[in-house]
Amino acid sequence: MKFRFRIIVFSLLLIWFLGIFFQYFIKLDDRLLFLYPIINKSYSLVCHQNDNKLISFSGIHSLICARCTGIYAGLLAASFVSLFINFKSPVRLKLFVLLSLPMLADVILYSFGIYNYSKTIAFVTGILFGSVGFSYFYTSIKELFAEIHIRK
Amino acid sequence: MKKYLSPFICGFGAGVLQIVPVAKSFSCCFIIPLAAFISLVLDQRASNNFGKIEMRKALLFGALTGLYAAVFGSFFDVFITLITKNNDVIALFPELQKMVSSFPVNLEIQKEVLRLFEGVRNDILTYGFSPLYTLSVVINNFVVNTLFGIVGGLVGAQIINRRNQNPVE
Repeated sequence: MKFRFRIIVFSLLLIWFLGIFFQYFIKLDDRLLFLYPIINKSYSLVCHQNDNKLISFSGIHSLICARCTGIYAGLLAASFVSLFINFKSPVRLKLFVLLSLPMLADVILYSFGIYNYSKTIAFVTGILFGSVGFSYFYTSIKELFAEIHIRK
Repeated sequence: MKKYLSPFICGFGAGVLQIVPVAKSFSCCFIIPLAAFISLVLDQRASNNFGKIEMRKALLFGALTGLYAAVFGSFFDVFITLITKNNDVIALFPELQKMVSSFPVNLEIQKEVLRLFEGVRNDILTYGFSPLYTLSVVINNFVVNTLFGIVGGLVGAQIINRRNQNPVE
């Protein structure tokens, strides 16, 4: 995939990721407060936004839970790596399943009360899933461009 | 229409699940991508064609699933608000008030924002409908659901193709 497309993918993911910490940007520009409820509503579509699961620091909190933040952090980190390394094919399905298992196990274990919810565990397992998931997304985009190119 | 039946069914399901709080807390950001993935699986089963899925088709199925989810999600959200005269804006208003007041921003802006949302809240409590709320729901649902549908469709197709290529993997 051409470098400029990789930059576009990375930029879009970066904008989405920064949006998670929108409350922080309100401190930089007061007028952004008008957009807050709308931005919050956008993120509420993709996350339950349970108060106890949000990442909080210095009086502000993320707009999505620790696990979702981890997933997008993983996607962003992998897309950053893709700027320098052109992935030839997605990771093996076995590895994808293997790296998704910790997240699935965490959801099941804390849901059944085996242990209490931990933001750190949720975030880290989210990163694992997001970073491996990106290789599939990246390969799909690459194939999509190839298909469009062939049709032309 | 029959060709695009699976995105319609999955989009409908996702639209309904999106407004169910308990389902949402479990499936989180996976509702729409998962719906797009399932729509591709259903399509393969319905057409009995287990060949490689083209990414253009995956993109279309993902976008359609997201669009249908947005249509049904917006409709149910607005309809339920109209009937019950209650929604998350009403429930979260005291929290929003507290949060806006706690922000270290200009007092004038704080008042302006709170006045704006008090107007929305009063409209919903009185009529069960607020044009501003409806507009924000529709725009948000269409943009976010379509994007997540596309991502789900593309990633889903890639997973299905890999699985069909290496069934024993």
